[in-house]
Amino acid sequence: MFVFAVLVLIQLVHIQVVEGDKYRKKAEKRVFKTFDIPANRGNLYDSKGNLLATSVPKYDVRFDAVTVKDRLFKKHVDSLSLSLASEFGKPASYYTKMLRKARSHKNRYLLIQRNMGYSQYMRVRNFPLFRLGANRGGLIVEQRTIREHPIGKIAERTVGYERKDEQGYYTRVGLEGAYGPFLRGKEGKRKKQKIAKNQWKPIGDANEVEPQDGFDVISTIDVNIQDITHHALLAQLESYDAEHGTVVVMETRTGEIKAISNLGRTASGKYYEKLNYAVGEAHEPGSTFKLMTMVAILEDNVVDSSTVVDTENGRVKFYDRTVRDSKWGGYGKISMAEAFKLSSNTAFAKIVDQHYKNNPKKFVNRLIDMGISKPLGLSIRGEGKPKIPYPGDKNWYGTTLPWMAHGYGVAITPLQTLAFYNAIANDGELVKPRFIKEVKAWDRVHEKFDKEVLNTAICSKKTARIAQEMMKEVVRSGTATNIKTNAFAIAGKTGTCWGNYGKDQEREYIASFAGYFPADDPKYSCIVVIHKPNKKKGYYGSVVAAPVFKAIAKKIYNDIPVVDEIFAADITYSKVTQNFENYFEKAQTYKTVMPDVKGMSAMDVIALLENMGLTVQIKGSGVVEKQSIAPGVKIQAKQTIRLELS
Amino acid sequence: MLLFLSFLAMSMIGSSHSAESKVHNIARLNNEVRELRTQFVDGRTELMQIKMESSVVLKMAKKAIHQPEEPPKKIIVKNK
Repeated sequence: MFVFAVLVLIQLVHIQVVEGDKYRKKAEKRVFKTFDIPANRGNLYDSKGNLLATSVPKYDVRFDAVTVKDRLFKKHVDSLSLSLASEFGKPASYYTKMLRKARSHKNRYLLIQRNMGYSQYMRVRNFPLFRLGANRGGLIVEQRTIREHPIGKIAERTVGYERKDEQGYYTRVGLEGAYGPFLRGKEGKRKKQKIAKNQWKPIGDANEVEPQDGFDVISTIDVNIQDITHHALLAQLESYDAEHGTVVVMETRTGEIKAISNLGRTASGKYYEKLNYAVGEAHEPGSTFKLMTMVAILEDNVVDSSTVVDTENGRVKFYDRTVRDSKWGGYGKISMAEAFKLSSNTAFAKIVDQHYKNNPKKFVNRLIDMGISKPLGLSIRGEGKPKIPYPGDKNWYGTTLPWMAHGYGVAITPLQTLAFYNAIANDGELVKPRFIKEVKAWDRVHEKFDKEVLNTAICSKKTARIAQEMMKEVVRSGTATNIKTNAFAIAGKTGTCWGNYGKDQEREYIASFAGYFPADDPKYSCIVVIHKPNKKKGYYGSVVAAPVFKAIAKKIYNDIPVVDEIFAADITYSKVTQNFENYFEKAQTYKTVMPDVKGMSAMDVIALLENMGLTVQIKGSGVVEKQSIAPGVKIQAKQTIRLELS
Repeated sequence: MLLFLSFLAMSMIGSSHSAESKVHNIARLNNEVRELRTQFVDGRTELMQIKMESSVVLKMAKKAIHQPEEPPKKIIVKNK
């Protein structure tokens, strides 16, 4: 016995002293832990304070089929199944079977439903059995924080997201990605001690770091315009069965992007925000590029708007390739202004070839000087790089120059095209398209973003004005007369580009329209690009793309009231004044006693008497002649008075 | 002396208890904040969907109310 006691004592001492440190450390590990305290991610707002993205918790509900007592399970399993069935739309028998199976298999972690919103979760929590809680009812709730877009699928790609992988690298899409560094905030660190109910109590520690919540970002997007844009584009894509399309609306003066919509077709034929085509997809622009050519040749003074060019019979051969006009037989001899509004390929190819054949560098350098060979440096990631071939490149041929003149062999993104059109609308000032307005911490402005000018003058004011007139003419009497409205003038340029013009390939089209409105005082610039419409239904820029532009322009225009200021006429009608004073006096004096209303008009008398609580019945019209309650009588509640007028 | 020490011990236990109950309280309040927040966002989402022009147009079409062809006119009367 004694030996045993000694052995126990030795072992005790051994654990305490020899192995003590190890165990104490182990204990500490179980009870103390340093936590990363996640920072709350900031909200993303539109320019009018509507939420575009915010963090919300979502709930997964599971069921512990073992912890529930037999009696309770039997009592509630049917009613619980019924409730689940009515909530999630599957038959009740399905749930009964599932729950019973889980019980017989001793499943302690049966998934009921993932990703429930708050209100749904609150309902589910109050279902029979579940309302008994975790231990008796077997309810297991897991909560996660996810990013939610209250405007739904609209602008999904532009609002975007940000994900962090295990290596700590971020995938950054759209505005969420672009402004991640503002939104993220900083994680905090804090040591905590374990206490009852599985909670952790913070304890003092020198390494403590407070988490910093992310800033709120106010973007330039306008949800209303975004909504209009989305639906206008969607309707057109659906009716022309197109592959994908994009629309951008930008405020002309400031470069603020008001809406950006990108829709691509899925295998099932539905459209959704697939990729940010407007930002990322550099493609051959076709005829919308004629504006760049026109501005370049006007700046070089090689032509003016009245220079005449012969479009021959609508087919002009350069080496082994032929430039064709969309009108069979061509336009004959036309001025450059007409060539622009009719979008004559031959005229542009010929005039540029004629003037720059011996010095193509001059033309290309002019384009480069105007800034169209460089990306705009957008905050959203993945901007497509424009491609402008340069003389001497290995794929520079004799045909490159005339083809470039009407928008082939070059590549540019819709947003870059829009920025150029916007610059012309701004008399030559190239403004950077911008998605962000302000960064805020609660009500305090942390950082403000202003208009950013990339180039104060890409061309002379004179050239810009001529180009503006030409674009107005496109809608007034050129290729886009179908979108002319009397309410306001639109200026722009259509584009119908052949994709896939290789010999054996099936021809595809890119229909586009870029421009601004109202033409006389530009407020918004807009570009519409629709890829691969169904050829049988139509493929011209004027037919497929321009109507989207018009629909958007019209809606935006109709939202702005026409303000008219007039000065009040200085006339007072003595009778009106007198009547009013008479009414006002009576209304002030009589509250409970019937006034004499003879001679008053119906309008005044009804207001007066109904305010006193009477129900008024009227016969005839004109002024009061008889009243059924005599003047001076005290009025009772809910009384009716009959008046005779003449 | 013993009394003082036991008083100290008592107050230590007391304060650690109150700290713990505060932690529990904070956890509870945090949950409440989160729930209210989702409720707010749910409401906001619903409102967003309802107030979008496209959904208003659909609802009003049933009542034969269409979008205007012209912008509204605003007349401001000024006094001389």
